[in-house]
Amino acid sequence: MTPDMQVDAMVVGGGIAGMQAALDLADQGYQVALVEREASIGGTMISLSKVFPTLDCCSCITTPKMSAVAHHENIQLLTYTNVTGIHQNGNGYVADVTVKPRYIDEALCTGCRQCEYACPVDFPNPFDANLGAVRGIRIPFSTAVPQMPVLDIENCLVCGKCLNVCPVDAIDLTQVPEQRQIQAESIVLATGFSTTPMDAKAEYGGGQYPNVISGLVMERLLAPTGPYGHVLRPSDGKEPASIAYVQCAGSRDETLGVPYCSRICCMYAIKQAMLLSGALPMADITIYYMDIRTFGKGYEQFYQNARAMGVEFVKGKVASIHEDEDHNPTVRVENMDGEPQIVEREHDLVVLSVGMIPRYDPHLIYDVAVATDGFVTTPSANISPCETTRPGVFVAGSAAGPMDIVDSIVMAGAAAAEAAAYIEAQHTMAPVAVGLEAVHA
Amino acid sequence: MTTREERKQRAELLKRVREERTNTVQATQSHLKEQQAIRKQLQEIMREGPATVPDLASATDLSTQTVLWHVTAMKKYDLVKEVSFDGEYYQYALAEGPNS
Amino acid sequence: MPEKDQIKKPQTDSPEEPVKVGVYTCYCGGNISDTVQCEAVAQQLKGLSNVMVSRTNMSMCSDAGQAIIEADIREHGLNRIVIGACAPSLHEKTFRKTVERAGLNPYLYQHVGIREQDSWVHHNQDHATEKAVRLMSAGIAKARLLDPLAPIELRAEKQALVIGGGVAGLRAAYDIARRGLKVALIEKEPFLGGRMAQLETVFPTGRPAREELDGLLSRVTTHPNISIYLQTELVEVKGYVGDFQIMLRQRSRGVAEGFAHTKAAIAACPVEVPDEFNFGRTTRKAIYQRYDGCYPSTPAIDWEHCTRCGECLKVSEQGINLEDNYVDVALQVGAIVVATGFRPYEPRHGEFGYGEFAEVVTLPELIRLMALQEEGQPLTVNNRPVRNAVLVHCVGSRQIDGIHEPQDDGLVNEYCSRVCCTATLHVANELRTRFPTLNVFDLYEDIRTYGRGHEEEYRHAGEQMVRFLRFDPEEMPEVVAAPEDDTSPLLVRVTDHLTWEEQLEIPADLVVLAVGMMPNPISDLIELLKVAQGTDRFLLEVHPKLRPVETAVPGVVLAGTAQGPMNIQESCAAAEAAAAKVAGLLGQGLVELEPFKALVNPDRCDGSGECAQVCAYEDAITIETMLVDGHEVRRAVVTPANCAGCGACVAVCPNRAIDIQGWTLDQYEAMVDAIAADIPGRMVEPVLEGAPA
Repeated sequence: MTPDMQVDAMVVGGGIAGMQAALDLADQGYQVALVEREASIGGTMISLSKVFPTLDCCSCITTPKMSAVAHHENIQLLTYTNVTGIHQNGNGYVADVTVKPRYIDEALCTGCRQCEYACPVDFPNPFDANLGAVRGIRIPFSTAVPQMPVLDIENCLVCGKCLNVCPVDAIDLTQVPEQRQIQAESIVLATGFSTTPMDAKAEYGGGQYPNVISGLVMERLLAPTGPYGHVLRPSDGKEPASIAYVQCAGSRDETLGVPYCSRICCMYAIKQAMLLSGALPMADITIYYMDIRTFGKGYEQFYQNARAMGVEFVKGKVASIHEDEDHNPTVRVENMDGEPQIVEREHDLVVLSVGMIPRYDPHLIYDVAVATDGFVTTPSANISPCETTRPGVFVAGSAAGPMDIVDSIVMAGAAAAEAAAYIEAQHTMAPVAVGLEAVHA
Repeated sequence: MTTREERKQRAELLKRVREERTNTVQATQSHLKEQQAIRKQLQEIMREGPATVPDLASATDLSTQTVLWHVTAMKKYDLVKEVSFDGEYYQYALAEGPNS
Repeated sequence: MPEKDQIKKPQTDSPEEPVKVGVYTCYCGGNISDTVQCEAVAQQLKGLSNVMVSRTNMSMCSDAGQAIIEADIREHGLNRIVIGACAPSLHEKTFRKTVERAGLNPYLYQHVGIREQDSWVHHNQDHATEKAVRLMSAGIAKARLLDPLAPIELRAEKQALVIGGGVAGLRAAYDIARRGLKVALIEKEPFLGGRMAQLETVFPTGRPAREELDGLLSRVTTHPNISIYLQTELVEVKGYVGDFQIMLRQRSRGVAEGFAHTKAAIAACPVEVPDEFNFGRTTRKAIYQRYDGCYPSTPAIDWEHCTRCGECLKVSEQGINLEDNYVDVALQVGAIVVATGFRPYEPRHGEFGYGEFAEVVTLPELIRLMALQEEGQPLTVNNRPVRNAVLVHCVGSRQIDGIHEPQDDGLVNEYCSRVCCTATLHVANELRTRFPTLNVFDLYEDIRTYGRGHEEEYRHAGEQMVRFLRFDPEEMPEVVAAPEDDTSPLLVRVTDHLTWEEQLEIPADLVVLAVGMMPNPISDLIELLKVAQGTDRFLLEVHPKLRPVETAVPGVVLAGTAQGPMNIQESCAAAEAAAAKVAGLLGQGLVELEPFKALVNPDRCDGSGECAQVCAYEDAITIETMLVDGHEVRRAVVTPANCAGCGACVAVCPNRAIDIQGWTLDQYEAMVDAIAADIPGRMVEPVLEGAPA
């Protein structure tokens, strides 16, 4: 098969790091293919509410970048596409990709959503942590790029209602997966992160308590586009009057195989606490923590503001959580301040500050080494933080370890610089001139 | 405007796809049946007046969690609207959506 | 809806085309709509003259939001767009592109900030809503008078200036050079390598700092695109992005490259001064190398301490010149990278006993002490072997107003310095490994080992029996002299929150202060470049997520710890990101400038020259003699590339003969009338010359 797409760089992953790397390369004049396995770019970031430390709404940062990616003349965007293999090709690479069928003719669809409204079946919406609903055919979320629906054939009646209402006959049930090849000089891996599973810790309810949720679920509750449109607890729709955060619930925990710090949880918990104080001014908010790690630019000041706003910080390790018949969770805490004591406190809603684990093992498609923590190995972590064990393959964002948005964006810029230099070296083919530059004495 | 011939072709295509995907189509059909039964119950109660999630749950055999999910789904697609807040819970009423 | 009077605005392309305005009020995902009733705003604006469409959206800047605007432009023939949203610094350019995609001139777009200027600073919903209506009415009033403009395209110099020869500056220089651009790398000291050269092993790789640094140094110093200027400072900057005219001032080194008698000349020098490389723990000569294997290896003469005794000349007349002078070098560069780095916080005299007791040192000082310590010998401080070492975190970081004494500028260092926790634990582990009988006590507030490989240092410290004690920032540990008969010279008093506020006294032979980072003092440079500092005194980026390495000055970008505390890895990542920005800016050889420049109406100008007198920018306005209808007259002439668009000239012109394109006096007056209207949104309609009322 001859490659049907030739580019300078292929970026794997359309989250914030991948988008930024693609934009930084494209702005330098390089041709980029951005491959995203979901139906829309935007990654985890697009599902967040507001982001620390500026408290900008997340869409204000993400959606313009999504739009810029979609409209950039040097970027070819492949969504709903899996990378199935990467092969070395001289000093460059060839990637096999599979474009999954949306069952939509992209050339015809206008994104009017009439199909979605016509579809009679509702399913739990993964974008809203399954708390909201989504139809069998749908645009994944309101700001999705591209604005094009996906028909979920596994959850389809094949009733034909969508075909009947589509004004442009864009629904095509005969679509099959399409194999393509992309030839690229350089590859940027920006495959992102997942969170430690809610069922990992039996002592915190093992994911069985409806009112013990993860930080990412709270993001959806706080987002204006969230499932309820308000902060309500999932068991019964009650507005919570008392909310607790359990820090390091899935990080710095060797029993889970996650001995490292996930780096973002302190800040997102504090940020959510601040947003909750705004949304629910009467609610009590408590953060149970071991160490507060607000290390970034402006973060410590952010933390001190939260304290001043009345968020309660309790230095103590949460030993366990249990719930009563009304699903009210009670936390059992070993208090580290003052007298040694174990206290039990009931809350309406408990948020576990779950940690970050790698989303994807690039080893599956190519021999790029990953470290014992599962993230991509960066052998020159200090001087060349984006280099992997393969020349021309670079890593950006949380594929290289837990990282917040600010650090991911900076690292994406760094990966773009590395990839550009690699491409440039391939293009010129001239050996690097050696010779001491005169030092001005 | 679709011609009779096109309609015929489309019907045949749907039939063929349904046959190819018997398992998932049947699973989706039973999912829809359950959904319709629950929605009917909820709509009947709300026809009497606005209700909270616990109101709806106690008037049916459903858990508050199940009720909340369906109310959320119906709200998203304009079948239900929020009308008031009692300090703890929102009250929901039927909206004039496409299927109400 | 009232009958609308359509204003016709003369345009170059189609003079009769009526003004059709599309108005959009953004919810900003709740940021605006939580305070401003956006639907009410949109409804009120609908009634204004020339407004054809008034809509709202959850986020106008999303692709879906932008698509609505594009569709409206095409469908309704809109020729002016007004959006009320966040600050223009964030998304004005986003929307200009949107408008352009729909075939409209991008400068027929008016951005109105109703977030930073309204919803974020008010609580009262009714008042905030009224303010939004007034601000947007003003935007509409201005939009009616907008003219199509074109950005000014200028050739860009394919060379960048990198200020600072530490790891960030080196990394940035190398990455810019690798993209085929020229780099002038300047360093004020005689040697490269910065703070990193003073470290021993570094986390998370565990490798010697010099080894990692040398790899980068050799790539930089051999790269044909990089010119290195040592002992050099930037003294003058003129121009703008793409074409900065800079002046460098380089001090003489005193020793020529390739000088063959380095060791003998250094040995001959009779002057001994404290060696700053080792924080004064050792001495060096007035002719010196920074360290063994430093770059360049050619020694330099320390002009402040050289007595001109001539002893070194006796070793070799060739290659040494004791004349201390300066050479000015003029260069043209397209972009400037600021990588001026940090300095360690210097504790006040008496802070944790610093300066009072010889056994109290900072962490960077300890690293040098350990480097100087002979292998296999016990660690000695003040001529006494160390048995107990106490490390204190957060010295000069996370300070609290009212508890800590402020710096000279009246501010305390509220920020976390990010690097010190892991750096301290890394050193604690080294202490325990190299000196197994030495007890290490670690006094902390929160342990912040956040990065990849950092938590391992913490865990390892626990395994290595480093003893942790936790203090509360409001109850700082105290360092006092021990009684005469004690075995150790110092006592550290601490209330430990890990053992429920037990009061402890630790006998100490060494107290190490994990000092934070402060930006290097660069006030001259800040003034030259006109870049902004944050309240933490570090240089300020435009936006941490949208433009994290750019300053508000076009073409000036940041790399490394000049921007804030960072470790080596983070500094290198930031430097590479800065290089990517520079490559994007200069790679094509062209830069675009905003067209908001002064424009003279020669029919009104009488050549009085008041504009030129008040103008602060060199060569922006000149008064020239020219022939008009056979008469010799004087007229102001603007060179757009040199004009900053500040408007000072507009204010002094007695004839209204000069205006800033895109921000004209007529436009301002229309905005003021709209804002000050009796009823919000019901402004006095502007009367246009030549336009039918």
